[in-house]
Parts: sequence; C-alpha cells; structure tokens
Amino acid sequence: MDKLVSPDPGLMFWTIVTFLALVAVLKRFVWGPLLTALEEREVHLKAQAARAAEAREEAERIKNEVAAYLAASQTQRQEVLDRAAREGEALLAQFRAAAEDETRKLREKTSAELGREKERLVGELRREVADLSVLAAERLLRRSVDPAVEKAVLDDFMKDISKGVRRQ
Amino acid sequence: MNFEEVLAHHLLDHAYFALFTTGGFTLAVSKHSVTLWAVAGLLLLGLLAAARGRSGAARLWRTAVEAIVLYIRNAIVRPIFGHDADAFLPYFLTLFFFILACNLWGLLPGSAAVTGNVSVTAALALSTFVLIHFAGIRKFGLAAHFKQLVPGGLPWIWWLSPLLVPLLYVIEIIGLCAKCVALCIRLFANIFSGHIVSLAFLCMIFVFAQFGKGVALGGVAPVAVGLALFVYSLDLLVAVIQAYIFTLLTAVFVGMAVHPH
Repeated sequence: MDKLVSPDPGLMFWTIVTFLALVAVLKRFVWGPLLTALEEREVHLKAQAARAAEAREEAERIKNEVAAYLAASQTQRQEVLDRAAREGEALLAQFRAAAEDETRKLREKTSAELGREKERLVGELRREVADLSVLAAERLLRRSVDPAVEKAVLDDFMKDISKGVRRQ
Repeated sequence: MNFEEVLAHHLLDHAYFALFTTGGFTLAVSKHSVTLWAVAGLLLLGLLAAARGRSGAARLWRTAVEAIVLYIRNAIVRPIFGHDADAFLPYFLTLFFFILACNLWGLLPGSAAVTGNVSVTAALALSTFVLIHFAGIRKFGLAAHFKQLVPGGLPWIWWLSPLLVPLLYVIEIIGLCAKCVALCIRLFANIFSGHIVSLAFLCMIFVFAQFGKGVALGGVAPVAVGLALFVYSLDLLVAVIQAYIFTLLTAVFVGMAVHPH
C-alpha cells in the first residue's frame, strides 16, 4: 500500500511534460482562436449594445423635441387665439363706439332738424294765425287797414302770442 | 485476491517497459503515462473540434466549451489577475480541462484514474509551485519576489526582528509548500477515495459470496451495486468540483504572487 502514496518521479516527469505540451499546443491551436473569436463577438455585442443605446438616446431626443415642438405650438396656438380674441374684442368695442357715436350724432342731427322744423312750423303757424287774424279783423272792420298800422298791430299781436306761448 | 490486491490492481500504476534508469529515477512507459497521453490526445481532438469544427454538433460542443471558458475567464482568472489575465488564461483553461478530462476518464469502467495517482497530482501541484514563482519573478524580479514572501510593514524591534524576520521567511516558505502539497493531496484523495469506496462496495459481494452465492447475489449484490452507483454519481460531481477547486486555488496562489498586496 506504500506505493499508493509514494510519488513516482518518472510519472511526475511524464505528467509535467504532457501537461506543459498540452498547454503549449492548446494555446496555439485552441485557446488562441477560441478566445479571439469570443473577444470579437464580445466587441461586436458591445458595439451593437452601444449602437442600440445610441439609437435609444436618439429616439428619446426626437421624442423630447416633438414634445417640445407640440408644447410650443400649443402655446403659439393659444397666443394666436388670445390675440384674435383680444383683437375681436377691441374691434367689437371700436364698432360699438362708432355705432354709438353715429347714433348719437344722428340723434343730435335729428333733434336739431326737429327743432328747426318745429320753429319753422311755429313761425308758419304764427304767420298763418296772423293772416287769419288780420283777415278776420278785416272782415270784422270791413275795411282795409294801413299796411304800417297792420304791421304794428301784427307785431304787437305776435308779441302777445309769443308771450302767450311762453306762458304756456 | 484480497482487497488490497484489488486496490493495487485498479489504482496503482503498472510499468509496461522502462525507457532508461539512472540512480533512483526510472522513466518508464506505464499504464498511467499512456492514459495521460490518451486523455491529452482526446482532449486536444475534442477541443480542436470545438474551436475549428463547422458542423452542427461541433457548434453545440463549442457552445458548451465556450460556457466553461467564459466562466473560468470571468469568474476566476480576470478577477484575480486583472490586466494580466490574458497571459495566464491558457494555462488555467488547460489545467481545468485536463484535470476534468482525467477525472472523468477515470470514471469509465476499466480505465485508469490518473488523478487518483499521487504522482500525477504532485506533478500538477509542482507545476503550480513553479508557476507561482515564475509569475512573481517575471513581474517583480528575483529579489523583489522573494522579499515579498514576507508581508511588508512589520514593526522593527532591534532585539526581536533579526530573529523574527528569518523565521517568518521560513514559515512563509513552508506555508507556500503546504499550499501546493494540500493541492496535490486534495485532488488525489478525492479521486482515490471515490474509487476505493466504489471498489469496497463491490468487493462486499465477493466477501459475502464466502457465505454462499445466494446471499451474495440475492441480498448483498443489489445493495452493493446501488451504493456503488450512488458513489459513482457523487464521483461525477467530485470530478467537476475538484477540477474547479484545483484551478481556482492555483489561480489564487499565483495571483497572490503577482498581486502581493
């Protein structure tokens, strides 16, 4: 049984030679190509991951830009609407003021015309009344009155009438 | 044939012929040396198929090998060696696959368990010992490497340190040797004991056959074969674990020489 735990230098030598030869051969023909392929694949995967991250960032950037553009257009639209509303209100106020002004002027003009017409009618009425009065007086007196006397009488009469109108 | 002879027959090396003998050293072609070459050859062919094969089976095999290679690189070699990892990677990959192949080959019925031979594990541990110093000397130079065997920063006490520092060197060198001896014995003992236990269970059949063939075949054989199969399945696990442990510890020891702090 001693042999079980007694190292054999010859076998140790073969083991070391075999193992080191295997290390050299595997390094040259197996591990080199295998590790190179693995690293190439890892580099490729890293590049792909980087590209994917880049594309994701780009998509994120575009999304943000679109959101900003939408927000800006929303603001702009709101501004346009507000401005239109303000302008509409201003225009309405302007139209209203103009209409009111026009109405006022029309009213004043109408009122003035009415006043003048009234005065004209009152004058005509007075003259008519005077004529009728003179006529009535002529008929009553059956005689013609001197125009100067007639005028003086009429003036007095007109004054009396004016006083009477004012009193009324 | 007693149990000791059975063990000796199954586990010991047998020289076929001696190439030369000088002093106490005999270089012979033996059962275990031929097994080593066969395992190395098969491993080389298998790994060449994985690295260069183009068929579907080869690609499948390559995927399996790559998984192990990546694990050894990412979980063992790179964390320990950092930037120096690529220089050491082929050694550790070969070490793992070689020990694993030898362990698994030893589990094939009728084959020799070369990692159950202390000479083989001692040679692998000796390779580790040499690699520890080779890596340390290559990185720091001869003087600096041996100076670093004892950790720096020890307090200097004039009447104690001249005695203590040489003692520490002796302790560290013994510790380094002990690590490598432990590597050797751990692998050897695990593989060897697995085969001994399997053989012991199977030999129970022949021991009980002394009391009658009926007892051996009817009562003991099913139990013994069942237990032997159980131990065999454990051995499959041990084959992988021991290859991993040997590789990991070798990497740790070499890493301590390359990165002493």
